[in-house]
Amino acid sequence: MIALLIVSFLSATCLATPEEDFRAANELYEAREYSKAIDLYLRILDQGEESPALYFNLGNAYFKNGDLGHAILYYLRARRLDPADNDIVSNLEFARSFTRVQMAGVQINPIKSFLESAVEPYRLNTLAWISSLAFVLLFCLLILRFGVGLRNSALRAGIITTLVLLLVFSFVTSFKYRHDYLTSRAVLVAEDCPVRTGPSEQSDIELEAAPGLVVEILSESGDYFNVLFQNKRRGWIRKELIAVV
Amino acid sequence: MRLLASIYLLVILGLPALLSQELAAQDDIQVVVSIDRDTIGMDEQATLQVEIIGETQNLPAPQMPTLSMFEVYSQGRSSNISIVNGKVSASVTYRYLLLPLKPGTFPISRIAVVHQNKRYEGNAVQLTVASSGRATSPKLDQRATDSQGKTRDYFMEAVVDNKHPFVNQQVTLTLRICFAVQHYGSPELQEPTMTGFWTEVLGNKAPYYQTIKGRTYKVIERKYALFPTQTGKLTIGRSAITATIAGRSRRSRDPFDVFGLFGRGQEITMRSRPIEIDVKPLPTAGRPKDFTGTIGEFSISASANKTEIEVNQPVSVTFKISGVGNIKSVAEPTLPELDDFRVYRASSSENISKLKDRIGGTKVFEEVFIPKKPGRLMIPSVSFTYFDPYKQQYQTVRTRTITLNVRKPEGYVAGPEVPYIVPDMTIGSRASDIRYIKEKIGKLRPVGQLIIFSPVYLVVNALPVLVMIGMVVARRRRERLAADVGYARSRAAWREARRRLARAKSIASVDKASEFHAEISLALISYIADKLNISPYGLTSERLAELLAGRSDDEELVPDMLRFLQECDFARFAPSTITDEKIDRALKMAEEIMVRIGGVKFV
Repeated sequence: MIALLIVSFLSATCLATPEEDFRAANELYEAREYSKAIDLYLRILDQGEESPALYFNLGNAYFKNGDLGHAILYYLRARRLDPADNDIVSNLEFARSFTRVQMAGVQINPIKSFLESAVEPYRLNTLAWISSLAFVLLFCLLILRFGVGLRNSALRAGIITTLVLLLVFSFVTSFKYRHDYLTSRAVLVAEDCPVRTGPSEQSDIELEAAPGLVVEILSESGDYFNVLFQNKRRGWIRKELIAVV
Repeated sequence: MRLLASIYLLVILGLPALLSQELAAQDDIQVVVSIDRDTIGMDEQATLQVEIIGETQNLPAPQMPTLSMFEVYSQGRSSNISIVNGKVSASVTYRYLLLPLKPGTFPISRIAVVHQNKRYEGNAVQLTVASSGRATSPKLDQRATDSQGKTRDYFMEAVVDNKHPFVNQQVTLTLRICFAVQHYGSPELQEPTMTGFWTEVLGNKAPYYQTIKGRTYKVIERKYALFPTQTGKLTIGRSAITATIAGRSRRSRDPFDVFGLFGRGQEITMRSRPIEIDVKPLPTAGRPKDFTGTIGEFSISASANKTEIEVNQPVSVTFKISGVGNIKSVAEPTLPELDDFRVYRASSSENISKLKDRIGGTKVFEEVFIPKKPGRLMIPSVSFTYFDPYKQQYQTVRTRTITLNVRKPEGYVAGPEVPYIVPDMTIGSRASDIRYIKEKIGKLRPVGQLIIFSPVYLVVNALPVLVMIGMVVARRRRERLAADVGYARSRAAWREARRRLARAKSIASVDKASEFHAEISLALISYIADKLNISPYGLTSERLAELLAGRSDDEELVPDMLRFLQECDFARFAPSTITDEKIDRALKMAEEIMVRIGGVKFV
């Protein structure tokens, strides 16, 4: 059976559509051939296409393969594309519970935390389309006012309301975009992740981090990233030890 | 079986009783007994005051001992309740009038209250009853007598309760101002200089009357608590009082105040004598290492806000030092090195109180303990050392040990500083808990593609903007056309001219050469008239040349136009055969001239 699957895997490496690759990878996953399933899922990604399900399955395969860091990395990517998917959120939380080291002294910014929790269930695209809808509606009302020349209080109230909605949704969309795409986040994927005081092997080790921790990349120098942990501790870590979300 | 039942009942019934006693012990009730005078005569009276202070609204009444040597009359009670941050603090003061039955020195003690089956006893006071009718000290008698042996109308004295204190031990300074004559208003006091002391004013006592050398004086008392900050001889300077007493001053006699009704009285000044204090150093023998210089009588307690916590969860421990003495000098108790905790100072506060002319109070230090590991962890006993000036020895008081039950948090966990590793937990062993893979890949899209940068999104958002701009421009144009005739004619000129040329072409035929040329001539003239917003009728070739002169860079335009109009006129009035070729040429020429006129700036 496994041999058959491997043959199908090899044949799939030739000319196969992403859907076919995906099905083949799922079969390998079911056969507990997690490494091969990972290779096949990654091959779809190499073709330059992505989907929440692809990232989700990839996260699962890594998790089963014992690679917690990569599992969390792909769950995070899946959640970014589809934050409302309960399976993704559930598996991400589950995987995180296995992180060996938890940050102590994490201070939560209440405003940022509120905004994050408010926008978390929505996709960036959804928010962008809502903003766009408010924008179009506003201009339709402006056309009625200035293009057609209608003047009444209901129209005025409609313009003000739509303008307020547009501002709110534009802000929320900008926040989501900044949070998900502009802030450079990374996951520690290596088993041993020494965090150093400077960007060199000679620098002291400040702490030993663990795979699965999420950090924010602040800058880079040579082979090192300067990263910020959730509890605001900073340190330098080799680039190959982390993967950008 | 019966034995087991007995033990069970003992535990069930005994535990709440023990707990209630523990709770009762937390309700600190203080009984402060004070008396307004230390010495009275047989004809005088003293007021005994019993103040009950506690953190409950239902403060009990005091149980008075039998005071057989006095007649005792109750003078009522007053109460005071305050609630700060939900914490109730109340005090009730009972006053009793004591009339002596026989002379002697009588201790008054064992005044107590009973609250929740616990007895709280107040401090003892002592009252001396002199055998004479009025009680005065010989010194006061001396101060009341002038050099001629007569009693003074007024005088003041300053006395201290201890002339040989230890450094930082309280010395109570009492200023007494005595008037045998009436005085007006409030006397003005010049405070004594008290260099070398930390000073706290205890306040003024309500004025009372006292007989000195057979004369009745009104006595005003003011007290200070002084804490010497250095050893050796220190001096409490003079204080002075300025007051106005009854009796007209000769110098200020008012000629209109015949009957002396408006006499202002006489302004007088009295001074106290300076007092020398000999401050002793603290004994060095037997001084504990942790002594930080606090003198008085203190107690220390420690309490934790919770004892059931998780690793890395903070627990707040409050160390409370309270007692009598210079509370400001109380330093933070020293904590021993604790490997099991991280310790942070949270806050400290102090509350100074004045009880029976003694300065005291409470100083509270709050420390945050964060346990590093699970288990039963102990916050050890913390000691505090002070010097008791009455016993003349160092005393050390201690807190009780606090035991914390620290649990492991769920899952696992430890901070980078706390290398606590949970027992081995492999991913594979619980992998079945993750949710199953998805069977369908879903909609694929290029990696990193965002809708906000897609052409569709940009077009959708740009379209209403463009539509609005277009509609606004069109509306403006429409409005201008409606409002500005010149503009409207100018904009419509070309269209109108083309219409006339088309009409001319339609009527062109061999027998209608005259009409044809009249029409194209009118088309050209009307075009220029529309452009200039003037009437086309009556425009001559000369007038047209004048209107166009200098407006165009095309120097040949005006001659060409005049030539064309001349040809038209000639054809109209000297009709000849017209051919299709001539019609086309005339139309083409008219159109060309119109195009050239279109480039002229008419505005």
